[in-house]
Amino acid sequence: MPARFGLARKTLVILAGSMLLLAACAAPNKLLVLEWSGYEEEDFWTDFKSANPEAAVTFEIGSSDADVLGKMEAGSQADVFHFYTGWQQFYVDAGLVKEIDTSKLTNWDKVPESFKELGQIDGKQYYIPWDWGFSSILYNTDEVASVESWDVLLDETYAGHISMWDDGPSAVAVSSYIHGWDETAITDEQLAQIEQEWKEQKDLNFKYWVDEYADLCPDVESGDIWIAYAWQGCYADRLYAGQAVAYANPVEGRNSWVGLYGISAKTANYDLALEFLDLKLATLTCSNLPNLFYYGCPNQEVMDAIEDPVLIEAFGLDDPSILANTNFTPPVTDAQREAWTEMWANVKAD
Amino acid sequence: MLGRRGSLRFLAVPPFAWLILLFVAPLLIAILISFRGERGPVDFGSLLQLSTLQYEKIVDSPLWVRLLGISAVMALIVAIGATLLAFPIAYFLAFRARERAPVFLILLLVPAATSFLMRVMAWKLLLGSSGAINSFLLWTGLIQEPIGLLLYSQAAVVITLIYVWTPFAALPIYGALQRIDRSHLEAAADLGSGPWSRFWRVTVPLSLPGVLATFFMVFIPTVGEYVTPFLVGGTDGIMYGNLIQDFFTRAGNWPLGSALAVIMLVITLALVAIALRVVNLRRVVA
Repeated sequence: MPARFGLARKTLVILAGSMLLLAACAAPNKLLVLEWSGYEEEDFWTDFKSANPEAAVTFEIGSSDADVLGKMEAGSQADVFHFYTGWQQFYVDAGLVKEIDTSKLTNWDKVPESFKELGQIDGKQYYIPWDWGFSSILYNTDEVASVESWDVLLDETYAGHISMWDDGPSAVAVSSYIHGWDETAITDEQLAQIEQEWKEQKDLNFKYWVDEYADLCPDVESGDIWIAYAWQGCYADRLYAGQAVAYANPVEGRNSWVGLYGISAKTANYDLALEFLDLKLATLTCSNLPNLFYYGCPNQEVMDAIEDPVLIEAFGLDDPSILANTNFTPPVTDAQREAWTEMWANVKAD
Repeated sequence: MLGRRGSLRFLAVPPFAWLILLFVAPLLIAILISFRGERGPVDFGSLLQLSTLQYEKIVDSPLWVRLLGISAVMALIVAIGATLLAFPIAYFLAFRARERAPVFLILLLVPAATSFLMRVMAWKLLLGSSGAINSFLLWTGLIQEPIGLLLYSQAAVVITLIYVWTPFAALPIYGALQRIDRSHLEAAADLGSGPWSRFWRVTVPLSLPGVLATFFMVFIPTVGEYVTPFLVGGTDGIMYGNLIQDFFTRAGNWPLGSALAVIMLVITLALVAIALRVVNLRRVVA
């Protein structure tokens, strides 16, 4: 009997030890972030690191919005995930995201209302906006006098020196701006017309670019590309390099994209995840976005404090109406995304 | 104690398990996903809800099917080009290099030690409008403006792929040439056959298994190539593999991407089967 009792006690001790170990492993001091390559650098979560030096933050890298969604759908253990405007609805529909308790965010009042709204679905705040920028026409002013409209991307005058981003939904957006169509309500006939337009544009196109800095900027620099669908990052890069370039304010308005962070519905570290996102909006972390990547930050105090003339020009900070005249990328449905990517596959395969 | 046959079976278990777990099973899952009606989370239950919708879409998209044909032709050119360039290299290693053959073999494979991406990007520096070739031609006065077709074209994809494959393509041919019994060549010489005649009537036929292995080793993966056309193909150099990549990584449409991949697999295997039947390897070697 004493021997069996001893065995039971040993078992209990081992069980208790195991439970303590498990508890330590699941401690709320660990955070897994499903992030885009480059943003895992400590510069982009430095305030959180300072506030939580003991916290273990690890990163899983997503290569595209589809990849991030696919990983979350496949059961990623990420506590926090990062994606871009246009994909908000999918995570809510699939029950993958937890509502944000904005009352716990200390930097929330520094975010303009228009940015906050981008993270809302049915009046609930599911996402926190973070990196943002414009899409417009970057052009070489040595070769092109001025650009007034998005239709310059389809202008035969510049055949062989135009470059479009390799993205179907963006092609649909550009055509919608040109024709004055509602991009969230494109009909089958309109989509067929868009497909035909971009098939014809293909002969004018130097290449479809994929990566802003590695793919687009070098060919703008070499002079092969005169006109490009581009983000302001490449524009700032070229301005710093002293190249004669300009960034259009098309009559139809620029486009803008915004990065959003959500907290996984499965997270066991909600409060830590919330603090991580709150401190993403803090001054030092947020200011590293424009300073290092030439991307905007939703903390208005940071943007207002920018004095660098290149960044002021790149973000149009001297134009108070710039955001009001900008088309923010709207959420689209699964069916729309599917139809638009299939349309783009037709264009590329033509 | 295991007998000889038992030992062989036992040794075969790990590689078979590896192949079944990491090759056959994913392939079957991809085939099952291709029969899904719509994208979304993949779970076992949804895998069994079969639909031919994705295949119907592909049949209704002649441009995608045409692109598969273009990719097959590009792969054919690459396979022929790489095999033709690899043969003299392999011949030199097998018949001329003698004891220095291992050194030359290592030298041949040294470029492969660098990143694939680096090697392909190097071609951008060579073929670009301000690259080495255009700069040289401009300097000589042979051209007044850079030749745009050198980069971001089908030609650029084919040239780069031939370059990438040639060192590897030499290996199976080298192996086949090494296996040739030198006494056959001596016998041919004794019977009055000249060097060219020996080469065409003895060396080439006996090396054909290696040549064909090389050809298919290059052809099959090249049909589905997507990295090289992505980097140097531009608007016109896109291949079928890029469509598959787009549907997987950019559209998140795994069912359609899987269906495109399954069709490519079936057609590529069919082409290989037809080619093997036409060539009739056994008769050639005999």
